[in-house]
Amino acid sequence: MKRSNIVLYIIAIILTLIFLLPVLYIIGSSFKPMNELFSAVPTFFPRKFTFDNYVKAIERGNFLIYILNSFIVAITSTIIAVLINTMSGYALAKFRFKGDTIIVIVILSTIMLPLEVIMVPIFSVLRAFGLYDTLWALIVPAAATPTGIFLMRQYLMTIPDEIIQSARIDGASEWRIFISIIIPNAKPAIATLAIFSFMWRWNDYIWPLIAISSPNKYTMQLAIANFTGEFGADYSSILAMSAISMIPMLIVFIIFQKQFVQGTASSGMKG
Amino acid sequence: MEKQSYKSYKFRQKSVPYLFLAPNLIIFATFIIFPAFIGIYYSFTDMTLFTFGVPEYIGLENYRNLLQDEDFLAAFKNIVLLVVATVPIIFTTSLLIALLLVQPIKGKNFWRAMFYWPVMISPIVVGIIWQWILAGNFGLFNTTIRSLGFESIETLINPRFAWWSVVFAKTWSRAGYFMIIFMAALLSIPTSLYEAAKVDGANRFQRFWNITYPALKPARLMVFILLTMEIFKIYPLVVTLTGGGPFEATEFTVQYIYETAFQSYQIGYSSAMSVIMLLFVTLFTGLNFFLQKGGSDS
Repeated sequence: MKRSNIVLYIIAIILTLIFLLPVLYIIGSSFKPMNELFSAVPTFFPRKFTFDNYVKAIERGNFLIYILNSFIVAITSTIIAVLINTMSGYALAKFRFKGDTIIVIVILSTIMLPLEVIMVPIFSVLRAFGLYDTLWALIVPAAATPTGIFLMRQYLMTIPDEIIQSARIDGASEWRIFISIIIPNAKPAIATLAIFSFMWRWNDYIWPLIAISSPNKYTMQLAIANFTGEFGADYSSILAMSAISMIPMLIVFIIFQKQFVQGTASSGMKG
Repeated sequence: MEKQSYKSYKFRQKSVPYLFLAPNLIIFATFIIFPAFIGIYYSFTDMTLFTFGVPEYIGLENYRNLLQDEDFLAAFKNIVLLVVATVPIIFTTSLLIALLLVQPIKGKNFWRAMFYWPVMISPIVVGIIWQWILAGNFGLFNTTIRSLGFESIETLINPRFAWWSVVFAKTWSRAGYFMIIFMAALLSIPTSLYEAAKVDGANRFQRFWNITYPALKPARLMVFILLTMEIFKIYPLVVTLTGGGPFEATEFTVQYIYETAFQSYQIGYSSAMSVIMLLFVTLFTGLNFFLQKGGSDS
């Protein structure tokens, strides 16, 4: 019994190293001076600590703009996502109406149409609507997610009907009920949705790839990918950018670990 | 008067759910469902990126050409192989880690956070991380190998090594996600079942095979379908890890579709590829769904 426990800890430690060391190595490398980055015998941690790569990445051009664009997209899209997915989840959880089954099927079918497969016609649609090469193209379409709707629906079903009914009898409008009863009662689910939505938008590459062409509208992911593909890619600033792009997610993760785990687990329990 | 106001109240009640659903449905219709239909339409035309006005209808020609396009067939074969290799590997890895974490060990939350955390890193950066470690003679990987007394090996310039790096990096970045799904399912199995089995003298393996594995059926199906769809649409990770090379060894369908559309400008032709891929993914997951749901036990 005792021995098998020790084995479990050893496996857990080895796994932790596999999942953690590569990330630490990249962050460490981003603080290495040029000669250490391309040394024939790389060390795990920098011998001489420098911010040169970061300074260069920022000077190199629009790096601060990419960070700003990523924040604008992730935050705005998350606010819209929370609002409209909660609205839809509420409609599906608390109303019986004609065509509700069909609507659920339509929403489910969008899961089977991944963006990666319909990117060409989406490009045409974005151009037709004048959204091409604007940040709006990254904010609005991506805010509607089937996962978000079902997450909210599942949670809102647990709110007792009586609260809603009594508010109706008191003469509250449906919108008022939504704002002052449904939203405050759905806080845990909203937190989960908001965190996931922020992560999806922050880490997304495909939408920016299809929708953005001007460099001053790049998000961080698009900028990192495009600089890597460039001839003679300058890895020192790419490492710095990669490290910076991980930081907000790391902070979000440390604060909201519980929501991440619950959100992931509930998506798995649906099956 | 009274009757009218009652009626309008009722109308408002009836329209309320539709109004609440409207923003989402409009976005879905505009940016997913409508494009999907345009895509099908494009696939029967000779549309290019520079076609203004109505493209010419050419029937099934794009589809006929696809069957003779060796590059497309290679990319398609490549993605099927990747799905066949990666899905079981991530499935097994995440299940094993989940099984580890439901054992009585201390600091569960800490371990769980450690294993989950790569999930938060964007595929672009995951590609950068492993590219930086694996590439070249003087990367961390080859340096470590030399310090252990071996010869350095060809890494990302070797097609086979590059291909398995994609499998590895994907597993590294996604195992934590599916681990959580399996953990939730494992924790929902009633412990009384295990106690009864212990009383009956079932060993660890028998308990897993007769209790745990059947009880995991819904979670298994879920993970399998999510994973399959995810691997089929792999692309961003490859962009920074291998760029599709060497010699197209890691070029998969999404990259090929993207390049055909936006670098060769053949919109119609690439749409035909999308339609084929969509049919294939739907068939693959649908088939699996029916095979597993229609299975004999509970």
